[in-house]
Amino acid sequence: MGQVLPLAVSAVLLAGFYASMAYGLGLIYGVLRVVNLAHGGMIMASAYLSWVLFTRFHIDPYLSIPIVMVVFFFVGVAMYRGLVRFLPRGAAGGVQSLLLLFGVWLVIRNLAYLLFTGDDQAVRTSYSTASISIFGSSYSVNRVAVFVISVVAVVLLQLWLSRTYTGKAVRGVTENSDSSTLVGIDVERVYAITFGVGTALAGLAGVLASTLFAFNPSFGAGELLKSFVIIVLGGLGSVVGIAVGALVLAFAEVFAIYVVPSYLTAAVGFVLLVVVLIVRPGGLFGSKVLR
Amino acid sequence: MVVAGCAPSQSTGTGSSDSLAVPDTIVIGSTLPLTGTESKTGGRYKQGYELAVEQVNAAGGIDVNGKKVKVELKLLDDTSDQAKAVNLAQRLITSDKVNAFLGTYSTPLVEAQSTVAEQNKIPYVNGGGAATSIYAKGYKWVFGTLAPVENLAETEMEWIDLQQKAGKLPKPSKVAIVWENTSHGKDFRKGIEDFAKKSGNYQVVVNEAFALDGKDFSSILSKVKGSDVDLFMVDAHLPDFITMQRQYLSSGMCNKVVTYGARGTEADGVKALGQKGVDYILSAVWWNSQLGDEGLNKTFVDSFKKKYGAAPEWYQAVSYEAARSLFTAISNAKSVDKTKVRDALSSLQMSSILPGGKVSFPADKGGQASYPFVVQQNLPDGSSPIIHPVDVANGKGTAPNPMCKG
Amino acid sequence: MTTTAQGKRQGRPVRRPGGPPGWLQRWLPTWLSKRSLVAFVVAFALLYAAPLVLPLGDYLHNLMGLTFMFMAAGLAWNWLGGYVGQISFGHAAMFGTGGFVAARLAVTFGLPFWATWLIGGLAAGLYGLLWGHPTLRLRGPYFSIATIGVGEATRLVATYWTDFTGGSSGLSLPIGGGPTKFQLYWYGLYLLAAAVAISYGLRKSRIGLGLLAIKEDVEAASDVGVNPTFYQDLVLFLSGTVVGICGGFYASYQAFIDPLDMFSFDRSISFVLIGVIGGIGTILGPAMGAIVFVVIQEFLLASYPQLYLGLYGVLLIVVILFEPLGLSGLLMRLGRRLGIRPSVSAAAGGLGSASAAPDQPTGPTGHGSPEGKREKADEAGEKAGKG
Repeated sequence: MGQVLPLAVSAVLLAGFYASMAYGLGLIYGVLRVVNLAHGGMIMASAYLSWVLFTRFHIDPYLSIPIVMVVFFFVGVAMYRGLVRFLPRGAAGGVQSLLLLFGVWLVIRNLAYLLFTGDDQAVRTSYSTASISIFGSSYSVNRVAVFVISVVAVVLLQLWLSRTYTGKAVRGVTENSDSSTLVGIDVERVYAITFGVGTALAGLAGVLASTLFAFNPSFGAGELLKSFVIIVLGGLGSVVGIAVGALVLAFAEVFAIYVVPSYLTAAVGFVLLVVVLIVRPGGLFGSKVLR
Repeated sequence: MVVAGCAPSQSTGTGSSDSLAVPDTIVIGSTLPLTGTESKTGGRYKQGYELAVEQVNAAGGIDVNGKKVKVELKLLDDTSDQAKAVNLAQRLITSDKVNAFLGTYSTPLVEAQSTVAEQNKIPYVNGGGAATSIYAKGYKWVFGTLAPVENLAETEMEWIDLQQKAGKLPKPSKVAIVWENTSHGKDFRKGIEDFAKKSGNYQVVVNEAFALDGKDFSSILSKVKGSDVDLFMVDAHLPDFITMQRQYLSSGMCNKVVTYGARGTEADGVKALGQKGVDYILSAVWWNSQLGDEGLNKTFVDSFKKKYGAAPEWYQAVSYEAARSLFTAISNAKSVDKTKVRDALSSLQMSSILPGGKVSFPADKGGQASYPFVVQQNLPDGSSPIIHPVDVANGKGTAPNPMCKG
Repeated sequence: MTTTAQGKRQGRPVRRPGGPPGWLQRWLPTWLSKRSLVAFVVAFALLYAAPLVLPLGDYLHNLMGLTFMFMAAGLAWNWLGGYVGQISFGHAAMFGTGGFVAARLAVTFGLPFWATWLIGGLAAGLYGLLWGHPTLRLRGPYFSIATIGVGEATRLVATYWTDFTGGSSGLSLPIGGGPTKFQLYWYGLYLLAAAVAISYGLRKSRIGLGLLAIKEDVEAASDVGVNPTFYQDLVLFLSGTVVGICGGFYASYQAFIDPLDMFSFDRSISFVLIGVIGGIGTILGPAMGAIVFVVIQEFLLASYPQLYLGLYGVLLIVVILFEPLGLSGLLMRLGRRLGIRPSVSAAAGGLGSASAAPDQPTGPTGHGSPEGKREKADEAGEKAGKG
C-alpha cells in the first residue's frame, strides 16, 4: 500500500484549500451569528475577478491576492452596512440572515451569468501543470502554493485576533457584545469589519480556487456546503478548529474511496455533517453549549 | 375506487384531426437551452436548425405532394431546465398546434420532453439526446440523430485494437475506465466493457465512477497509477476534464493511450491546459468539419461558413441532420399528417453528412441512429486529424503516447 | 350553567356567534369559523368548475394543475418553516422520495396512481421522521444547515441507487397508465384542498397553539407541558407526507423523473422561496408564493430568461428587509388601510417571532425582552396544554 503516503499528502494539500474556504464563513458566524449563504457566491465572484485580472491585465493570480482581498473587504463592509445591519441579532435573526444572504447569492450568480455567460473558465498560468516533488511523489505546484498560502492566512488571522486592538475587539464582541459596548467598543463597527474580513477571506479562497479548478457561475455551492461541514466539525471557537475540521473532511473524502464507491465520497461530508450536528452540536472541538 | 373516477375527462380529444389539405406553412416547434448552463451548446444547435430551415425555404419550401410549403421554426428558450422543456413543449404542441417537433439538448431534457411528444402523438426528432435509455422505452414517435455513446467507446476501441494488432500496444492491454456518473458515462463504460468482453485482449482493471464537478481526483488517479494500466479511458464534461487532466499531469502520470471521450479538441481545453497538456489525447465525436472535403459534407461546411463565418462542429451537424430528416420525411410522406410523417421517419434512408454517409432510425435501436464516430488525436502542432475510420481519416494516429518515457 | 373553555354548555352545544349552524357544529371542531368554511367551499367550487365553463386552453389549464401542486407543497413546507419556525433547506429529499416510490410502484407493480401517491407520501413522511427526529432538537440555523446536508446526501445516494431510481437515467412512467394532464388539474385541486384544510386545522387547533409556543421559546413551552419532540415530529411527518404526495403528482405529470432534478438543492430552494416570498406562517402566503413562482417561471422567463435568478434574489431580500410576512403581509397592510381587520391568528406568523406585527421595525435589538417572550410562550402553552 504505497498509496497511503501520497494520498495522505494529497489530503493535506486539499485540506489547505478547504480551510481557506471555511475561514470566512466561520469568522462571520462566530462573531455575528449570521450564516453567510452568500459565501459561495463570493468565492465564485472572486474567482472571476482573479480570472479577469489575469486575462486582461496579466496579473498572476497569486500576486493579485492582496488586490482581491482589499476589494472584497470593502464589498463585505458594504454588504453589512447596507443589508445585514438591519437584521435582528441572535437566534431570531439567524434564519432571516440565512434567507437574506441567500437572496444576495442568487443576485450575484445572475450578475455573473450576465457578465460572463455560463461558460466554464479557467486560469492557466505557465506553471499550471508544473509539479513539485514531495516524499518522492509529484504534486501540482498550484496545490502546494495554495496550501502554503492557507497556512500563512491562518497564522495571520490568529495573530490579528490576538495581538491587534481590532482583533481583540472582535473577540470581545464575540464573548459579550453588551459588555463590549460598556468598555467603549463600537460594536457596529466591529461587526462591519468582521464582515469585511470574512468576505475578504472568501475572496482569498476564490483566487486560490481559480488556480486549481475550472469554474462557472454555479461554482461555489459545493464549496459553501463543505465549508459548513468544516465549521461544524471544527467547532466555532477557534481558527485552528477550522483547520482541523478541514483536515478531517479532506482525509475522509480522499480515503473514503476504499470504503465506498468513488462518487459517493462527496456524500461522506454531508453524512458527517448531520452526524456531528446530532451528536456534538458544538463541533468536535467547540463547546457543548449551542447558542 | 371512488377516487379514481373523480376527475372529468377531456370532452374533446386532445388530438385534433389533421386536415388532409396541405397547409400554407409548416410550423415546427422546438425548444433549446439558449440561456442557462447549456447556453453555449444550445446556441450551436440553433445554428444547425436555422441553417436547415433557411436552406429548405431558399428552395421554395418542402415539397409536399407537389406543393412547396415554407417552414416556420418556433423556437423557445427552455433555459436548460427540465420542467420548462416539458411545459414549453406542451404549450407548442397543444396551444400552438405545431406540425412536428425538433428536440432540445442534453439527455435529461430530451428524456423528459420526448415523453410529451409520445403522449401527444407528434413526430419528435432530436439531435440532443445520446443516452440509449431514451430510446429503450418503446416510444413510437421519438427519433434521434445522435448515435449512442457506446459507439463512441466502440469506435475508439476499434482504433486501439488496430494498434494492438500492429504490435504497438501490449496484448493483453490493461484498461482503466473512469466515468462520470451520468447516463452518458454509463454508456461509455458499457461500450468499452462490451468490446473488451468480445475481444478478450483487454482487461478492465479499474472501473470507477465520479460525481460531476469533482474537485479532487487524487484517489481515483492513484488507483489508476497503482494498477499500471496501458489505456486510461475517461468520460467527462469539460470542467472535470480540465481538473482531472491537470491533476493527472502534475502527478507525473502518463499512459500509452489517454482519452476523455468526446473531450480534448475544444479550444477551451487547450486554453486551460496548454498544448502540451492535451497532446496525443484521443477523442471521438459524432462529426468533424474535416470530413467536409467533398459532396454533401463540403456543401454543408461551405454554406455554414458563409452564414456564420466559422467552421461547424458536431453540434451543428447533428441538429442540421435532425431538421433535414424531418423535412425529408414530411416530403416522403407527401402530407403533414402526423402518423404518415412518423411512418416516413421510421423508414427513412437519407444520405447524410454523418459518418457512414447515411442516416436512418432503425426500429431495433428504438429510433436512434447508429453510425461510427470519428476518432481524432491531438498533435503537438495544434492539429487534430481524423485517424479513424480509415475511409475518412486524414492523418495517422500515434500509439503508444510518445511523451511517456519507457 | 357553566361554560367550558370550548364554549360548550353542559348538554346542548351553544351556538357561537360566527360559528357554523348548530346542526353542523356537532361534527365540526370548535375552532372552525363559518366565514372560513364558506370561503373554502366557494373557492373549491369555483376552481372545480372553472375549466368546465371557461375556455382556459390546454396550456393554462395544465399550468394551473401544476400550480395547485406547488401551492400544496409550499403549504406543507410552511407547516415546518412557518408554524414551527424550523426552516428546511432539504425538503427535496421528501419530494424526491415520494416521487420515486410512486414511480417505482407504478413501473414495477402497476399500482393505480392514487395508491402510488399515498404510499409514496407515507414513505416520504417516514423518511422525514427518520432524519428529522434527531435533528429537530437543533434550533435555527443549525437545523437549516443539517437539512442542507440531508438533502444533498439523499441526492447523492439516490443517484447511486440505480436499481431503485434508475440512477442518472431516471424512471419513465408507462404512457397512458395514470391520469392525463387534463385530469391532473382536479387531482391537484384535491391535493391543495387537503393541504389548506390541514393548514387551517394545524393553525387553529390546540396543536397550532402548541406550535406557536415552541416557536417562541422551546424551553418555556416544555415547561408548561407542551412536548416539543412530539409536536415537531408530527408536523415534520405531515409536511413530509404531503410533499411526498406532491412528488408523486409531479411524477405523474412529467411522466419522467430523475434524481438530479427531483432531489436537487434548487428544488429545495423553490419550496423555501414559495414559503418566504408568499408569506411564511400564513395560509394564504404559500399559495400566493406558488403563483408568483409559477408566473415567474413561465411568463417572465420567456421574455427575460437571464434575469430570473436575480429576480428571486431581489424578491427575497426585499421580503426579509421590508415585509417579513411576504406577499400576504403586503395584502394585510393593504387590507388594514382599507379598513378590513384580519383575524388575529392570521397575523401571528412571520419569521423569527410570532409576536412580530408586520409594521413594527425589526431592529438589531431583537423582538421584545426575554421575559416578554416567555410570558407569551407560557400563555400559548397553557392553552395548548389544557385544550
